[in-house]
Amino acid sequence: MLQQIVNGLSIGSVYALMAVGYSLVYSLLNFTNFAHGVVVTAGAYLAFFTLTLVRPSFAVALLAAMVGGGLLSITYEILAYRPLLIKGGRRLFLIIAGLGISTIGENLIILRIGGRFKAYPPIFPMEPLHVGPVEIAVVDIMIVAVSLIALLIFQLIISRTRAGLAIRAAAHNLATAGLMGVNSDALVILVFLIAGTLAGLAGIFLGVKYTAYPQLGAMTLKAFISAVFGGLGSLPGAVAGAYALGILETFVSAYISSSMRDVFSFLLLVLVLLFRPQGLMGRPSGEKA
Amino acid sequence: MTRGMIWLARRTIMVILVILLTTAIVAGCVGEKKAPAPAPEAEKPAEAPKEKPPISIGYLGPLTGDGAPWGKAELNTLEMLVEDMNQKGGLLGRKIKLSSYDNRMDQVETTNAARKLIEQNKVVAIIGTNSSSASIALAGVAEQYKIPHVATTATNPAVTVKESKVRPFSFRVCFIDPQQGAIMAKFAFDELKAKKVAVLYEVGSDYSVGLSEFFQKSFKALGGEIVAVEAYKTGDVDFRAQLTKIKAAKPDAIWLPALYKEIGLAANQARQLGIKSTLLGGDSWFNLDLFTVAKAAVEGSYLVQPVAMDDPGLNDFKARYKAKYGSEPGAEGANAFFANDAFSVLIDSIKRAGADDPLKIRDELEKTKALPGITGTLTISKDDHNPVDKEGVILKMEAGKYVFVKRTKP
Repeated sequence: MLQQIVNGLSIGSVYALMAVGYSLVYSLLNFTNFAHGVVVTAGAYLAFFTLTLVRPSFAVALLAAMVGGGLLSITYEILAYRPLLIKGGRRLFLIIAGLGISTIGENLIILRIGGRFKAYPPIFPMEPLHVGPVEIAVVDIMIVAVSLIALLIFQLIISRTRAGLAIRAAAHNLATAGLMGVNSDALVILVFLIAGTLAGLAGIFLGVKYTAYPQLGAMTLKAFISAVFGGLGSLPGAVAGAYALGILETFVSAYISSSMRDVFSFLLLVLVLLFRPQGLMGRPSGEKA
Repeated sequence: MTRGMIWLARRTIMVILVILLTTAIVAGCVGEKKAPAPAPEAEKPAEAPKEKPPISIGYLGPLTGDGAPWGKAELNTLEMLVEDMNQKGGLLGRKIKLSSYDNRMDQVETTNAARKLIEQNKVVAIIGTNSSSASIALAGVAEQYKIPHVATTATNPAVTVKESKVRPFSFRVCFIDPQQGAIMAKFAFDELKAKKVAVLYEVGSDYSVGLSEFFQKSFKALGGEIVAVEAYKTGDVDFRAQLTKIKAAKPDAIWLPALYKEIGLAANQARQLGIKSTLLGGDSWFNLDLFTVAKAAVEGSYLVQPVAMDDPGLNDFKARYKAKYGSEPGAEGANAFFANDAFSVLIDSIKRAGADDPLKIRDELEKTKALPGITGTLTISKDDHNPVDKEGVILKMEAGKYVFVKRTKP
């Protein structure tokens, strides 16, 4: 039982890193960024190549994945989303563009790098830590710790800095914030930078745990459910939703049926959308971010 | 006006960027691709003006995705064999033309690709596939169009037999899962003295489901106890919920008929949860990548193999393959060897049929007898289209290597 909670938390913490990215972009631009998964995959590959080709240092790989993820995120925002936003395209177009980017990304990786998985060199000790009856993998402790630090830093940026104030203002209304002197173009880039950085971070951890492979980003679908469950647009909600989903999945696998797990996850999505579309912590339509 | 100009400039730059990017990607892909899958028409030699049309055969297998290493090894083998054979004068005085498509180890892709092979490339026989689920999908198309196919490493019984009736157009050259499951069950019970075994398998994979069942059946028949049976879905990467339950059942060994990266991930996660039981696997476990993903976790595990990789009978083939492709076949499993034998069986049958008539080839495939292959002597049983009396080999994983333990029959 306790072990299953630990298993769930470790899955939830990776979902959390990805869910925040979804929520953040949603809170500003009111659309779901389905290109997010590609950044996660790219982060995993960047970290892999840094570890094997450049330097076998986890810190360097972490930095590479985060910077790379952030830059990639900005790149596709400028190349794909920006032209659509300038034209005042409907949100649906943005979503379709996002799906397109994610398909292109996955196939580029298959073509240029290959469909095989890439296993990271051993970074963390395999031997688990024994805490009472529970075994905890070192990598999981790292994930929770680094995720929490990253999310905390990010929360500080949002609540304490001028840029954060601008993001919060823009989350209410991007156009009005623009009229008030906020450079909305720069702001959107900043938001994609943050979301991409967190996605890169999620990527390296997913890579360490599950190896890097082209379909790795598909896991962001679960992060999307987390974000909806927690309330799209609410950042604490996204984190809470992610942990809740991680634990729910583990419990369904353990006590109901492992093959039924995704049925329950998606059922949750449907139920939330039906009965509480604002999610756990989202507010009906007022404050966001 | 300035706005308009800026807009125009931006747009122009965008368009140029997109064009550049596309060209770069396309050029890169084309440049990198060593051998385009379907041989271009222009390749036909112009020396003999009255040359007969080539005999067209097809290959289906995973060339992208998780299973790509297997598919590439098989396709490499076939391309090498076809080239050799064409240089030596071809078959029945005609050249052989090999067309191939990627099936991504997926049933739907397989069905579509098989139709394309038959309708567009006009193949008279297909080699493939390597996986059971895709082979079963292929069997349906093969029967519909009356084109025979020879599976390489698809081990599920249903590949060649449907509801206890033989599938008329499906053949294979490898051993089958009941034999594989029985070999490992016997080894675990007799030699490892395991009494309690847990099972973790993949729902949605005919191979994994089949192996899971056959092992359980044989192990229980021997008097062993199955203490836990857990499953996961295709594409899953986290098995700790299931493994935590398995741990509570305290098994002596865990039968893990997983397919690819799942083996390494599950092994790692089992060890992370403090599970010390011996891990047992099927033929999919022969994959050197496993040692990078889970070197410490798979140490001391046992697996069944259809061939012993250090069998001297394979040396000639290995040398030819290495001379052509620069790497030894076998790093990803026995696929190259079975592709070789599937090709031998097919060519032998076409020779005896004396024509590229799919129905005649089918009849001759059924009569294959005592044909020397590199994975053993091949005699195809008329009743189930499986090779007769193929034995298995038990290997142990030790210090980053597969170590031969024993050769055995089920």
